[in-house]
Amino acid sequence: MAAWDLSIIVDDLGPDSPPITISVTSDLHIGGVIFKVVEKTQAKRDWSDYGLWWEQKQCWLLRTAWTLDKCGVHADAKLIFSPQHKPLRLGLPNGTTLRMRASFSAPVFRTVLNICKVLNIRHPEELSLLRPVEEKKKKKDQKSEEEIYDITDVPLTSASVPCLYNGMPAHFSDSPKTEAVYKMLSASQPSPAPEMLAKLYRPASIVDKTHIHTRWLDSSRSLMQQGVQENDKLWLRFKYYTLYDLEPKYDMVRLTQLYEQARWAILLEDIDCTEEEMMLFGALQYHIGKVSQSDAQALTSGLEDLDSALQSLEVKMGAESTANDMLENMTAPELNDYLKIFRPKRLTLKGYKQYWCKFKDTSISYFKSQEESCGEPIQQMNLKGSEVAPDVNVAGQKFCIKLLVPAPEGMNEVYLRCDNERQYAQWMAACKLASKGLTMADSSFDNEVKSIQTFLSMQRSNPGAQVAQSDDSINTLSLVSPRYHKKYKAKQLTPRILEAYQNVAQLSLTAAILKFLQIWQALPDFGISYFMVRFKGSRKDEVLGIANNRLIRIDLGVGDVVKTWRYNTMRQWNVNWDIRQVAIEFDGHINIAFACVNADCKTVHEYIGGYIFMSTRGRDQSDTLNEELFHKLTGGHEAL
Amino acid sequence: MNYSIGFTDLNASLHELEDNDLDALMADLVADLNATEEKLAAESKDHPSSSSSSSSGSSLPTPTVNNFGFPSPTVAPAFTTTSISMPAPAPAPAPPPAPAPAPAPALAPALAPAPGGPKGSISPPPPSQTSKLSKEEMEAQTKADKIKLALEKLKEAKVKKLVVKVEMSNGSSKTLMVDERQTVRDVLDNLFEKTHCDCNVDWCLCETNPDLQIERGFEDHENMVEPLSAWTRDSENRVLFQERKDKYAVFKNPQNFYLWKKDKNTLKDMKDKEKEMLLEENFCGTSIIVPDLEGLLHLKEDGKRSWKPRYFLLRASGMYYVPKGKTKTSRDLVCMVQFDNVNVYYAKDYKNKYKAPTDYCFILKHPQIQKESQYIKYLCCDDKWTMTLWVTGIRIAKYGMALYDNYKTAVQKTTASTSWTDRINSNASTPSPTLKAKAANGHAPKPAQDTASKGLSNQPAFPPPPPATEILPPPPPDPVLPPPPPPAMFSKGPLPPPPPAMFSKGPLPPPPPAMFPKGPLPPPPPPSSMGGCFPPPPMDDLPPPPPPDNDDSETPPDFLPPPPPAMGFPSSLPRGGALPPPPPDPVPPPPACPSGGPLPPPPPPPPPPPAPAPAAAAATRPTVRKSGPPPPKRTTPVAAAPSGGDFMNELMLAMQKKRTQP
Repeated sequence: MAAWDLSIIVDDLGPDSPPITISVTSDLHIGGVIFKVVEKTQAKRDWSDYGLWWEQKQCWLLRTAWTLDKCGVHADAKLIFSPQHKPLRLGLPNGTTLRMRASFSAPVFRTVLNICKVLNIRHPEELSLLRPVEEKKKKKDQKSEEEIYDITDVPLTSASVPCLYNGMPAHFSDSPKTEAVYKMLSASQPSPAPEMLAKLYRPASIVDKTHIHTRWLDSSRSLMQQGVQENDKLWLRFKYYTLYDLEPKYDMVRLTQLYEQARWAILLEDIDCTEEEMMLFGALQYHIGKVSQSDAQALTSGLEDLDSALQSLEVKMGAESTANDMLENMTAPELNDYLKIFRPKRLTLKGYKQYWCKFKDTSISYFKSQEESCGEPIQQMNLKGSEVAPDVNVAGQKFCIKLLVPAPEGMNEVYLRCDNERQYAQWMAACKLASKGLTMADSSFDNEVKSIQTFLSMQRSNPGAQVAQSDDSINTLSLVSPRYHKKYKAKQLTPRILEAYQNVAQLSLTAAILKFLQIWQALPDFGISYFMVRFKGSRKDEVLGIANNRLIRIDLGVGDVVKTWRYNTMRQWNVNWDIRQVAIEFDGHINIAFACVNADCKTVHEYIGGYIFMSTRGRDQSDTLNEELFHKLTGGHEAL
Repeated sequence: MNYSIGFTDLNASLHELEDNDLDALMADLVADLNATEEKLAAESKDHPSSSSSSSSGSSLPTPTVNNFGFPSPTVAPAFTTTSISMPAPAPAPAPPPAPAPAPAPALAPALAPAPGGPKGSISPPPPSQTSKLSKEEMEAQTKADKIKLALEKLKEAKVKKLVVKVEMSNGSSKTLMVDERQTVRDVLDNLFEKTHCDCNVDWCLCETNPDLQIERGFEDHENMVEPLSAWTRDSENRVLFQERKDKYAVFKNPQNFYLWKKDKNTLKDMKDKEKEMLLEENFCGTSIIVPDLEGLLHLKEDGKRSWKPRYFLLRASGMYYVPKGKTKTSRDLVCMVQFDNVNVYYAKDYKNKYKAPTDYCFILKHPQIQKESQYIKYLCCDDKWTMTLWVTGIRIAKYGMALYDNYKTAVQKTTASTSWTDRINSNASTPSPTLKAKAANGHAPKPAQDTASKGLSNQPAFPPPPPATEILPPPPPDPVLPPPPPPAMFSKGPLPPPPPAMFSKGPLPPPPPAMFPKGPLPPPPPPSSMGGCFPPPPMDDLPPPPPPDNDDSETPPDFLPPPPPAMGFPSSLPRGGALPPPPPDPVPPPPACPSGGPLPPPPPPPPPPPAPAPAAAAATRPTVRKSGPPPPKRTTPVAAAPSGGDFMNELMLAMQKKRTQP
C-alpha cells in the first residue's frame, strides 16, 4: 500500500513549532500514528492524555484500533495532537470562578460527571455547563478581575468515592490552597453589595428568561466539538430541578451551591416571588450568612459531623436530663421591669403609660407599681398563640414590641415600649418564645436574645458609612432583589426582614439552607425553563415552559398559562432534525409540534429527555448512573 | 405527696365541674372522696411502712386485674371472683371519671396546677410513710436519681387533662379524659376501640362553634387539648366524632385537587398509578407542593358588612389576592393572610347570618377567637367544590408533610386493625407470665405483708410497658395494674365501691375491649409515668366490660348499681378510659420498685391482692369513683413510690440550694 505524508500539529511544543510530518499508510491504525508522532518529537514526557483532534471534521480520533482509512483520514487532514484534558474556567453557582482541568474529548455529560466528582457534588446528572452571558466589561475593570481559585493541579481522581480526610475529600486536603477552595465550595458566600446587585443583568420579561436556556451545551458532544477552547469560561449550573436524595451529611457542597443558585435566582428576579416571600428569603440569607461565618472557624465538615454526632448524643442525654437540669427548669425565670404599655382602642388617644411588668412562664402581668406587684395584677396576658412583631427604630431609640394577643373576642393589640436595647432584646425574646408556648427556661432563650441584639446592631450602622460595615451590619438591601431597593429604604426594610427573621433565627445552618430551598421549590414558577417556540399552525411566537413533570404553553404577551401537558400522559416525542421540529404525542391522540425560535431544538429535546431520565432514577435500587439511558433519551440522531 | 396532689387536683377539677354546672352528684362524690381519703390516710398511718403499698394495694388489686386482663384466662377467672369480692378496685377506676362529670361539654381542665410548690409542701407527709420502705430499697440508688424521679413526677403532675364529651353521629355521646400529651390520633384510636365503627381513614374528630356557625376537623397530628383549651367557659362548642370524606380526599384522588383545571371527566377515571405519581410529585419531594388554586372569591373582612369579590391565589406562603388594576404576577400580589397563626373552618348558613352571596363559605381565624371579630377573614365561594378545594389547599399549605404522614398512619391503622385481635392475644400471653414472675420477685424483697399490697405495688410497675396498654383489650382480666395507680391516688376510698358492681356484672372478660381504649391513652405517659398509663385502662375496662363493649356511657349505669357511681360512672367510665394517665400515681409502685425495678416488676400477682383490698376499701368504694384523681397517676409513676419521703426532702433541699446558689 502506498505511503503518504500526514502532518500533525503537536500542542504544547510551542506555538511556532512546525507541524510534524510522518509517513503513513492507509491501513495504519490511530495508535500507530500516535506512536510515530511521539517518536518523532523526541520529547520525553507523559503523552498518555494526548489524543488526535481532526480540525476540519471537528472530531476526536480516539479509537486507536481504527485505521486511517476507516476514519476517513487522508493527506489533506489537519490533525492536532493535543491533551484531552485542559484547564477550564468554571463559573460556579456561587459566583466564584474555579480553574480546573476538564475533559475536552468526552461528551459534556461525562465531563460534568468528572468535574462534580472532583468538587464532591453528588448526582451530577442534575448539572450541566452553559456558556456565560457576555459580560460587558469596560477594559479598565478587567484588572480588578475576580479572584480565581485554581485547582488545575488536583489530579482527576478515578476513585469512585472520594475518601474523606480532615472533613473534606482527600484531594482537597493536600495544601492550604486547596483547602481554601473546598471552603469556598462548601460555605455560602457573603451577600453582594446592593450596588453590584443593581448592576447585574436581570431578565425583565419572560422573553429574556428564554435567552439563558439557549446557552446550554450539548451533553452528547465534547467541549472541543462545541468550540470551547482551553481556558474558556463556562458556567456550571443545576439544570434539572429534580433534586434527588438531598442528604446534608454528604451533600455540603451540593447544598451550598444549590442554595447559591437559588439565592441568585431570587436576587436577580429570575424567579418571581411575593414580597412576604422575599422578606423571608432575605431573613434566611442573613441567617445563613451569619451562621456560616461563625461556623467558619469550626472549619471542616468533618468537625461538623462530629458536632452533629455530639449534638445527637446530647439530645439523647437530654432525654434523661440530669437532676440539675431539671431543677433549673423548676425554678422558673422571670422578667421584672417598668415598661410602658399602650393599648390602642378606638376613639382613644391615650398614649403609653408606665406599669410594673412581670413576665413569668408565658404570661405578662402588669401592676401600677413595683410595690403593688404582690397583689392582683391590673391585667394578665397569656402570650401563647399570640403574634409578636417588632416595632423598632434604633436611631430614634424606639424599642416597641407589638403584640396581638388572641382572645375569644378577637385579637387584643398591645404595645410594650422598652427603654433600651438590652431590655428590649430580653422581653422580645421572652414574648417570642411565649407565643410558641415556651418559657424563658427553654434553652433557646439566650440565643434568641443574642440574635435580636445582633439584628438590632444592623440598624445601628449608618447606611451612609458602608465601608465601615462590620460583618454584623450587613446592608439589608443586599438581601433582596433590586426591585425592593426602589420600593423601600434600608431602614424600612430592616424591620420587615427582622420580623421574618424571628421565625428562622433558631435554625441550624443546614436547616436554614434546606428551608431556603424548600421555599424556593414551593414557588409556583419553580423549576420551569423557558424556551421561545412557534407551535405548528400558529403564527406567533409563544413560550414553552419545561418543568420536571410537565410542559407548559405560555402566552408570550400576557404571560398566562394556556395549556399544560404532563409527561406521564406523553406517548412519544420525536425530533425532525431536518426541519428542526419537535413533535410530541400525548394520550388521547393529542399531538403537538413546535419549532424552536432562539434555541437549538436539540436543547429542548435534551431537556425533555433529561427530565424523563431523572424520573427513572431510584426505580432500580442501584446507585450507578445509567449513562447509556441518558444518552438514549437525550442524544437525538447523533447519539448512537 | 401523691395523695395530696391527687386531692388538690380533684378539688380543682371539681371546681371546674361546678362552674360548668355539674350536678350535685359531684358534690356527693367529693364528699365520698374526702371520706375515703381520710380513711386511707388513717390506714396508712396504721401501717406506716406498708401503708402506701397497702393502701394502694387495696385499691389497686382489683383495678390491676382489669387492666391486665390479657395475661390470661387463668388470671382472669381468678380476678373475676376476687373482683367481685373486692368492689374496691372498681372504685378506683371510677375516680378518674370524676373529672369527667364536669365534662361535659366543656372542658374541665383538670390541671395539676401547682407542680413544684404545692407538691413540695405536700410531699413531706407521704415521705414518712414510705420513707422506711424506700430506705431499705433505695440504698442502691443515688440521690440524684431520686431527685430526678421526684422531679419527673412533679412534671407529670403538671400534665393538663380535660374531660371531653364526644358526640357520635348517632346522637349518643362518649366522655373521654384527654391529657395534653395526646394527639387527635390517640383519641381517635381510643374511640375506635370504644365504638364499633369501621375505623376507616375518614373518621375524624371535629370541632363546632355555634356562635360562628363553623366547624373544623382536627388534624390527626394536632394536640387534642390545645384547641379545646381555647374554648370559653360557657362555650357551646362541641366535639363530634364523624366520618368526613374531605379529610383525606386529596390523598385518595389527588388529581381532583392538583389537576383541578382539567376536565372533570378525564379526572374521574384516573389510574391508580397516576394518582400515586401525583402524590409522589407533590408530597414526596424535598418540598411540599401546594395546589395552584386561584379564582374569584368573595371576601368580608375587617368587620365590614359587605362581601367584595377578589381574585385570590393560593401559595405555600399564604393566601394572596390581586390588587385592583394589577396583574397576577407574584410581585404584585397582596398577602391577605399567612397560615402560621390561623386555622381554616367551614362555615354554615352564612347566607342568612352574614348575607353572603352563597352558603359555601369558609373562614380563617386564630384558633383562640371564639366570637365574631374583625380579625376573622370570611370567604365565600361560588360552589361547594370550590370551597372544598380551597379549604383542602389551605390545609396542605398550613400542615404540609404532616397531613400526608397522618394519612399514611391512618391507612396503616385501618389495615392493622383487622389483625388486632390476634396481636392482642399474643401480647397478652407474653406479658402475663412475666408479670407474674416479676410480681413474685417484687414481693419477696419487700415485707410482702399483704400479698395484695405487694401485688399492687408491683402492678404499678407494670404500667411501664405502655405497649401492653394498647394491647389491653385482652388484659381486662388483669385489673391489677389499673387499680394500683388509683389506689394511691384514690386510696381515699373511691376505689372499692364502684368496681365491685362492675366486676360482678360483666366482669372482666368483656373488658378487654374496653381496655383498648385505655391503652391508647396511656401512651402519653412517657417513661416514668408508664405505670400510670396502665392504670387508666383499667378504669375504662371496668366499666366497659360489663356492657358488651358498646356505649360505655350507657352500659355503666346498668352495671353500676351504686347510684353515685351512676352519674360519675357512665361518664366517668368512658373518661376513665381517657384518664389512664392517672395511674401514674406512682405512689403504689414506690414500695415495690424503688430502683429500676419498677417497671419490669409488673408482677402479675395483683389479682390476689384485689381480694384483700376490696375488703378494706369496701367501705370507701362508693366514693372512690370520683376520686379517680386521675391526674396523680401520671405524676409519679414509679419514682414516687420508691421513696416518697426521702425524695421530697432531698428535692426540697436541692431546690433550696439551687435557689440560694445563684
